[in-house]
Amino acid sequence: MSFDDLAARALDTASKRGAEYADLRFEVVRAERIETRNGIVATLSDATSRGYGMRALVGGAWGFAASSDLTQTGVDATAARAVEIAKAGAAIARHRFGAPPPRAYVDSFATPIVRDPDGVPLGDRVALLLAAEKALHVSPKISVGRAWIDLWRTDKTFYSTLGSRIEQSIRQTGSGLEALAVGNGEVQSRTFPGDIGLYKSGGWEIVEEAQLAQNAQRIGEEAQSLLTAEQCPSGTRDIILGGSQVSLQIHESCGHPAELDRVMGWEANFSGVSFLEIAQLDKLKYGSDIVTIRIDNTLPQGMATVGYDDEGTKSGTSDIIRDGMLVGYEMSNDTARTIGRQSNACVRAQSWEFVPMIRMCNLNLLPGDVPFDGLFEGVKDGIYMESNRSWSIDDHRLNFQFGCEIAWEVKNGKRGKLLKNPTYAGMTPQFWNSCDAIADEQSWVAWGTPNCGKGEPMQTGRTAQCASPARFRNVQVGVGYGG
Amino acid sequence: MDNKQREALAERVLGLSTADQTEVTIGTESADLTRFTHEEIHQNVARADTGVSVRAIVGLRTGTAATNLLDEESLRATVDRALAIAHLAPEDPELAPLPSGGPTQVPDGAFVKATADASPQLRADMADAIFKVAESNAFWCAGFARTQSAGFTIANSNGARASFDGTDAGINVKMNASDSTGYGQAYSPDATALNARSVAETAAGKAKNSAQPRGVEPGEWTVIMEPAAFGEFFAYLGQHFSAQSVDEGSSFLSDGLDTSYFGENLTVTDDYSNSLAPSMPFDFEGQPKKRLTLIDAGVAKTFVTDSYWAKKLNRENTGHALPAPNAYGPQAIDLVVKPGTKSTEQLISETKRGLLISRFWYIRTVDQKKAIVTGMTRDGTFLIENGKVTGGVRNMRFNQSIIAALGKCEFSNAPQRTGDYWFSLVVPAAKIEGFTFSSGTQF
Repeated sequence: MSFDDLAARALDTASKRGAEYADLRFEVVRAERIETRNGIVATLSDATSRGYGMRALVGGAWGFAASSDLTQTGVDATAARAVEIAKAGAAIARHRFGAPPPRAYVDSFATPIVRDPDGVPLGDRVALLLAAEKALHVSPKISVGRAWIDLWRTDKTFYSTLGSRIEQSIRQTGSGLEALAVGNGEVQSRTFPGDIGLYKSGGWEIVEEAQLAQNAQRIGEEAQSLLTAEQCPSGTRDIILGGSQVSLQIHESCGHPAELDRVMGWEANFSGVSFLEIAQLDKLKYGSDIVTIRIDNTLPQGMATVGYDDEGTKSGTSDIIRDGMLVGYEMSNDTARTIGRQSNACVRAQSWEFVPMIRMCNLNLLPGDVPFDGLFEGVKDGIYMESNRSWSIDDHRLNFQFGCEIAWEVKNGKRGKLLKNPTYAGMTPQFWNSCDAIADEQSWVAWGTPNCGKGEPMQTGRTAQCASPARFRNVQVGVGYGG
Repeated sequence: MDNKQREALAERVLGLSTADQTEVTIGTESADLTRFTHEEIHQNVARADTGVSVRAIVGLRTGTAATNLLDEESLRATVDRALAIAHLAPEDPELAPLPSGGPTQVPDGAFVKATADASPQLRADMADAIFKVAESNAFWCAGFARTQSAGFTIANSNGARASFDGTDAGINVKMNASDSTGYGQAYSPDATALNARSVAETAAGKAKNSAQPRGVEPGEWTVIMEPAAFGEFFAYLGQHFSAQSVDEGSSFLSDGLDTSYFGENLTVTDDYSNSLAPSMPFDFEGQPKKRLTLIDAGVAKTFVTDSYWAKKLNRENTGHALPAPNAYGPQAIDLVVKPGTKSTEQLISETKRGLLISRFWYIRTVDQKKAIVTGMTRDGTFLIENGKVTGGVRNMRFNQSIIAALGKCEFSNAPQRTGDYWFSLVVPAAKIEGFTFSSGTQF
């Protein structure tokens, strides 16, 4: 029996058992990882997983069941389980909660790729990493050198009782380097291209764009130099953040608080709530006038670019922050309905085993009009920080403290001496309102995050926050090291 | 799939390999979770899967491949893929042979049939009991009730054979009042041992007692962390006990063993057989786990290894491997902190001025070697004055070295299980002097 037939059988079984709506995602997921560490291949793996996850709606309550059992008996049992779970929830429901999506699609989507990774011999992949990682070892003080490549391929088909059939083939790729230096009582790390590498949707061209080998020696030298660098001072300074750190700042202080399920308390017991309350919509001055943060799930090479989300809603663009004002959220069908809007296709599941939920997707800070070097002009006493090292933010997404791997003093508009252990802290709206310059599109990068955690059971999401470097005034720095 | 079926499957896959050495692992999981907010179930999920992983070693070359497709053709393709990867991999001169295993004893209580058989109705009943506590207090609640069972079997060509089945159940509740919140949790291998109403009442009591929270100044405080909070804080020391971290220089233990790093009250073991968190008696290579004393009265005694790091550092294999491929090194995943002699109430009564902390959020490492971490309090933070809890305080951010914090500490006499199923901790409440807060919030 083909999977189209099995899916039809499952949806029919769910309907007969009482589901007023049901949908099903069938997925085949392949994950390949290579990681070299100090001249050996620490990881060389290839994993394939196949299965399906099914949602059933009964009396306004959702049930979800997932299985890898593709027999007719297994499909029947999974459909029955989804309905049984929904009924158990409906029995104690205080009011009607969920509703079917507004429409159906029959369509397909495939990630555009320039070079198929399957055409790159494994030996060549390993050789690339070993050469780049070797170049990190600029001295014996480099205790650990690491280099890695991740390749993901997800082929999935979405079916619903409304008649949707959406077939998608998603390719995501990433790579990176890390040098760990030990000496002088210090341990210092440098990573490249961002703190977790460079992750995008696409093929082998993403690895080639990263230019690991060309940058490895510099990264090793910077890690070593940090061992003897001066401590980042404590106090209040103007700061300039590199693009990957701005990406992290968007992720933690805009992307998560703008998830409408979080705003509505769906994540309250675990990842928290949000200061971006519904009453603040179209009223809160979240950032300065130059700050516009936009969802674009159609962006070429965006890590989260797909044709349709995992509720079967078509991808598009919408603003969260426009000219500094809060104007929108990341939404699902059920949450959007509560504020009189329609889903903006921000629903994802980690894989077939997991229930779809609101996830940050491609959430981009639009570039400004200042060349990167222009960010330094007018900074009398500041700090330029690059590459995230630590990140923590409260469960309302207000009080944050982030650390970077490396920094440089900025004096009278010029980059000066190297600083170690840079940290900065603040409150989200005050921080984004202090943003007075954003670098232009020449330094705008589709930074991807391959490891965003949310939900219970915990799901790992792959998100993007495209950004260029930016400048913020009067920020608390040096926290955690006596500040 | 039960353990006999897993063992038969492992033997069948092992028989497909022509590698010099082969390891086959079979993992099954059935995990159900009911999640709620505002007295409604908004996520109600179940998943079941079986995965097969193959590690093939040819000479000094290794490859791994994994699948959840259990037909003969897919299993053969997975073995062939692992073998093909191994042939293409560079040699690792320090590669260790796969362990040959040994006898192990599954601790009592690790598997409870009632948990494995739990229905959606059981979890809905738990949720309903929690809803009623929220409604009777005019609060709203969020949380989950979950039940899961997992099975793991390993077989390798050097003779290791081991199987384990375990269950776990958990309840997590956050009660939300107008200007305060409260937290409760409970975990057990036995779902029927969990009392949802009691957990909800604990959370509601915290929300009630922390109403109208006051702001207090950041700075150095005496703190008493309840087990949920102390477990989250202490977990960030776990990575330091890995041989890999010690060897690369990122662990405080890189400065040497048999050194007193902590106060005499701190004794830490890694013990899979602890009755509050009974777990797998062998590691993910099939090596029997050693029960280790990692810190004895403040003195660092040892760290954990797997086959690779035992050979590399010429130490005993303690049986702490993670699943292959593993770039993180061996890990201590059954940490237990020895309790003290006083109740939490007595620790509070002996505190002139301090803070009682229910739970932390978003702890992250700021400085790995010094074990400095930052994070936030949440869901029930209280002021202690003259030995009594006098009300709630607004949440604060801390920046604190775990090593320094545990230099002057004492512990309650009532340990609790906290943490996830595959990385559990058993810890008491902890009283710590001079704990550093750096900023506050308005909630």
